[in-house]
Amino acid sequence: MYKIMMFSGGVYKFNELKELIQDIGGFILQEMVMQTETMLHLAFPAEEEGVIKGKVKEIGGKLVDLPLAGAEIIIVAPSLGRHHAVDPMCDIAEFLRRKGAITNMMGLARGVGKRIAQIQVKERKIIEEFDAAVFIFGNFRECIEEKVKLCEGLEVPYIIVGGPEMEIPHYVGGIGRRTERMKRKHEIEKLEEMAEGLRVELDVKRREIEEDPLATSPLFIKELIDMTIPPKAGEELSTIVHLDGLRVKLEPGEEEKVREIEIGKRKLADICEMKRSLYEGYLLKILPEAVTGSVF
Amino acid sequence: MEVRVEGGDEFANASYTRICQNIFRDIGLHSNVDNVYLYCNPGEHVFIISVKIGRVPSPITVNDMTIRGDKRLKVTNEKYVPRLLALLWDKYGERVKQLSRLEIGIDLSTEEMQELMKVTVYDPREDLNTRILDAVDRILPEGARVRYTFPSTGRITVIASENPITDEWKRRGEEMVQRISESVSEGGA
Repeated sequence: MYKIMMFSGGVYKFNELKELIQDIGGFILQEMVMQTETMLHLAFPAEEEGVIKGKVKEIGGKLVDLPLAGAEIIIVAPSLGRHHAVDPMCDIAEFLRRKGAITNMMGLARGVGKRIAQIQVKERKIIEEFDAAVFIFGNFRECIEEKVKLCEGLEVPYIIVGGPEMEIPHYVGGIGRRTERMKRKHEIEKLEEMAEGLRVELDVKRREIEEDPLATSPLFIKELIDMTIPPKAGEELSTIVHLDGLRVKLEPGEEEKVREIEIGKRKLADICEMKRSLYEGYLLKILPEAVTGSVF
Repeated sequence: MEVRVEGGDEFANASYTRICQNIFRDIGLHSNVDNVYLYCNPGEHVFIISVKIGRVPSPITVNDMTIRGDKRLKVTNEKYVPRLLALLWDKYGERVKQLSRLEIGIDLSTEEMQELMKVTVYDPREDLNTRILDAVDRILPEGARVRYTFPSTGRITVIASENPITDEWKRRGEEMVQRISESVSEGGA
């Protein structure tokens, strides 16, 4: 089981940390060097946390836990109009990114209103491609009660945010329609509450995966894909890690190369279900070890 | 600008009061609107907004935004330069040149120059209604696309809903506006 954390600090002995991570079988998910400041998203075996903490203390950096790391989350608003963007859509997205998630945004085609609000089958399928979803449903109690029905039956964990405080499952109040940035203390606390709700929902999914482990970790597959098809210049997040798979952005013709990647004594196509995403790139769903048998 | 929101629960009323204030400030109409009344009925999905238009600034002339020099105008308020240049090029064609960011070269006789200084560049009254309707559109919930407006002097009132607007709501809307106008004029007196 891998633990994902964020390191921030200076460049002093920075390479030693990177080498240590590789030595203990960890991965670097994101790296950003800004002059003398560095930021790394690290994934390492959970039992090695002490070693990493010791090294970080030695080189004088900070290590922060990322509770939502390794998950791709979609933020769904009733539309992409200015009634919902940039606040609170972008506030929520930014906050989730700070907690380690990769975020995307989506406006429903016919999501506005109360009686007329709808979610299309294709939209539902797109939302289900992600690890979790956050729905933004406005300020009116009556509308939220009606719109909650849109999320029923979704196969991914989700959180609904809205204005009033209400007793509804998966719901966090206090983040309704607004026209200013969420930067005050009580607003940040609400965002924390929402992120905590998501973490709880994602932990359930993580535990399910732990009980029926995958053939191999998505982080390991990401490393191999990035080695076979190096990211293009200027391209960010060409391979995105999900809890039970990956999203890979590929050029035409590269699909076969990915299928042929060797993992232990098997090929990637044998241990993954690969399909074109309705949203972007290809989705790789890693099969459980119980189905594929031992890979190594 | 005074904002009054009624009909919703406590949270909705408070947040829509803030939304109204922020939107009118963003559009730059904060000081041109006397009061805003918003009635929300999310149960039946009916929203009524009534905006009382207040003092509107006087028209901006060339004299207000430039200093007259020898065959040139020095811009003192850059905000209206695109309108001024469009107006000058339309009127005098190649005799007008933009020399730098804040300088316009213009080859006119003294009489023509005197005439030009009195020309109106922008009249805020021109697009006042459009701007107020833009603000109203931003405030009302996006799903409330069926609109009914009724005219009254110095006031713009819009009823919005996702369902067809009944005569009953039109009548109640008119009563509300009547009541609001009276209470405001009493308060003012």
